[in-house]
Amino acid sequence: MSSISLKNVKKSFGAVDILQGIDLEIADGEFTVFVGPSGCGKSTLLRLICGLDEVSAGEIVIDGEIVNDVPPAKRGIAMVFQNYALYPHMSVAQNMGYSLRLAGTDKAEIEKRVGDAAAVLRLDKLLDRKPRQLSGGQRQRVAIGRAIVRKPQVFLFDEPLSNLDAALRVDMRVEIASLKERLGTTMIYVTHDQVEAMTLADKIVVMHAGRVEQVGSPLELYRRPANLFVAGFIGSPRMNVLRAEADERGTLRLENGTVLPVTAPAGARQVSVGIRAEHLSLSDDPGAFVLRGRARVVEHLGSDMFVHVSVDGASDPVIVRCPDEMELAIGSAVSVGFEAANAHLFAPDGQRIVSADARRSAA
Amino acid sequence: MFDLSTPLARAVFALMMGLIALFLFFPIYWLVISAFKGNAELYQIIPTLYPHKLSLGHFTNAFEQGHLLRNLRNSLIVSCSAAALNTLLALYAGYSFAKFRYAGRRGVMILLLSAQVFPFGLLLISIYPIITDLGLIDTRLGLILSYIVFALPVSTYMLYSYFSQVPSEIIEAARADGASELRIFHTIVMPVSIPAVVTVFLYGFMWSWNDLLYAMTLIVSEEKRTLGPGMLLSYLNEVNSDWGGAMAASIVASAPIVLAFAFLQRWFIQGVTAGSVK
Ligand SMILES: Nc1ncnc2c1ncn2[C@@H]1O[C@H](COP(=O)(O)OP(=O)(O)OP(=O)(O)O)[C@@H](O)[C@H]1O
Ligand SMILES: [Mg+2]
Repeated sequence: MSSISLKNVKKSFGAVDILQGIDLEIADGEFTVFVGPSGCGKSTLLRLICGLDEVSAGEIVIDGEIVNDVPPAKRGIAMVFQNYALYPHMSVAQNMGYSLRLAGTDKAEIEKRVGDAAAVLRLDKLLDRKPRQLSGGQRQRVAIGRAIVRKPQVFLFDEPLSNLDAALRVDMRVEIASLKERLGTTMIYVTHDQVEAMTLADKIVVMHAGRVEQVGSPLELYRRPANLFVAGFIGSPRMNVLRAEADERGTLRLENGTVLPVTAPAGARQVSVGIRAEHLSLSDDPGAFVLRGRARVVEHLGSDMFVHVSVDGASDPVIVRCPDEMELAIGSAVSVGFEAANAHLFAPDGQRIVSADARRSAA
Repeated sequence: MFDLSTPLARAVFALMMGLIALFLFFPIYWLVISAFKGNAELYQIIPTLYPHKLSLGHFTNAFEQGHLLRNLRNSLIVSCSAAALNTLLALYAGYSFAKFRYAGRRGVMILLLSAQVFPFGLLLISIYPIITDLGLIDTRLGLILSYIVFALPVSTYMLYSYFSQVPSEIIEAARADGASELRIFHTIVMPVSIPAVVTVFLYGFMWSWNDLLYAMTLIVSEEKRTLGPGMLLSYLNEVNSDWGGAMAASIVASAPIVLAFAFLQRWFIQGVTAGSVK
């Protein structure tokens, strides 16, 4: 097991700076998830940690040792590639045992370790098959098995479940969660999937355009996003944002003068007010809440429904999540409300600001 | 595509295919039947379409005269060595071009391919003095080296294209698994590339096997002569033209190539990398 720390790690391809100085501490045994939009540099960072590419600047430290010049095989790291990258001409057993054969491990030991990993991943009946004779999920498990048999200090997973269908994803997610429990190894995991990120992570790293936007536990990121980007990225559906203006006393108003039930701190002018879909309340009585509007789209999910409401005085529609029991006609007049405690305020530069109400209640 | 649903269309299509087949196979057919005709029948004014009297005389002659077998042996030695050496060089060169990045990579590749622009015959003028200076005139090695000059650019390019398709991730996975670069090449990349390797081997083999010009020029002594010059000089020279013997010898000469294709074709299977990456 190992801790990892990245110190001002940069990567450029030619003149293009892909990673702009990443600082990150990952503790021994921690399960860290990298999330971020496509092209933000997640895979690039993973490849740097693995040693497949060289950093342009900065230091990668594993267990107190700078590993910038250490080849991948000597870093104690195993990587599971997004597209499996199995050796096509080798059987499942040979694929999993390849690294051990290279290391000169004796045959009995290789067989035992491959057998153990295969049992964990339920691959025992497939050991003699070639990759082309396997389903996508089985290939994925072989790729994971190949990493496990090496008993690495660190696991790197690059979107390991992205090629699987929904049911298999859930299975494999549970599989990885139990792997994490059993092995207790440091793991870094890249995903686009909110649910994977929230359920698996001890710590989520949100990346954007080659920078780290925020690092924290899943609930920290959900409850206290540091900026608008994180607020929009974590949580599904996206957090709703209302553009409002504050007067000297901190009263927040929409364009049309509607007063919001939350107060800005002194000095704030332009404020983005973020509220999650699940924190909005909806009523078909137009007088029940402060925000008036009309229902535009209703999405039934069975247990819940998402109602898209165009609010008077706001440019973008807001999405409200409520129990799927209300009868709502498209175009009907509704009202929407929220509590001050659930509102997130952001300054024009996107950084979080603390609302006056929250300050008062903290005092 | 054609609509083959009407009988007429099918008939026209069949006729066309028949003509193409006739065009392609008639010379081969003629070669085979001529080899099996006796001399009397072979030189009839009106040729027969098939041997009325089967004769193996040309074959027994060919083998009894001895030089055919010697030529055959020489050709096999030269062609196999040239093909093997060519494949070996092209393997490493192609892999380096495909999977490593270094200064001058493109330049060297273009230079290599530009060698292909010059006609085979023209290059003899520059190769001949080089081979002479090296003291390799009238040696099999000299011949082998000059064949490689011609086969190597295209062979390298063929393997380069193939290796470029091999997913980089499996190479990186092997690197992370702790394999050295040579190990990766030998245990991962090459086994995955067998169809391409076989193709390149056959390509180099055919180049050398079918050559007449270089073999005539660079080899002088009779005991090192390969099939092309051997057949030309023994069957179709100034004093006699033994067509039947030439035909029989041609069949013997083609046999190794046909056998090689038959034996190696099972490697031309598709999708050796299937299942590796998604
Ligand atoms: N070898 C390379 N040469 C030049 N640019 C590259 C190279 N590899 C990656 N990039 C660029 O670096 C950026 C980050 O790529 P990276 O693969 O790390 O993104 P990612 O966050 O993993 O995205 P995704 O979620 O789509 O996998 C992209 O804009 C990509 O075009
Ligand atoms: Mg990626």
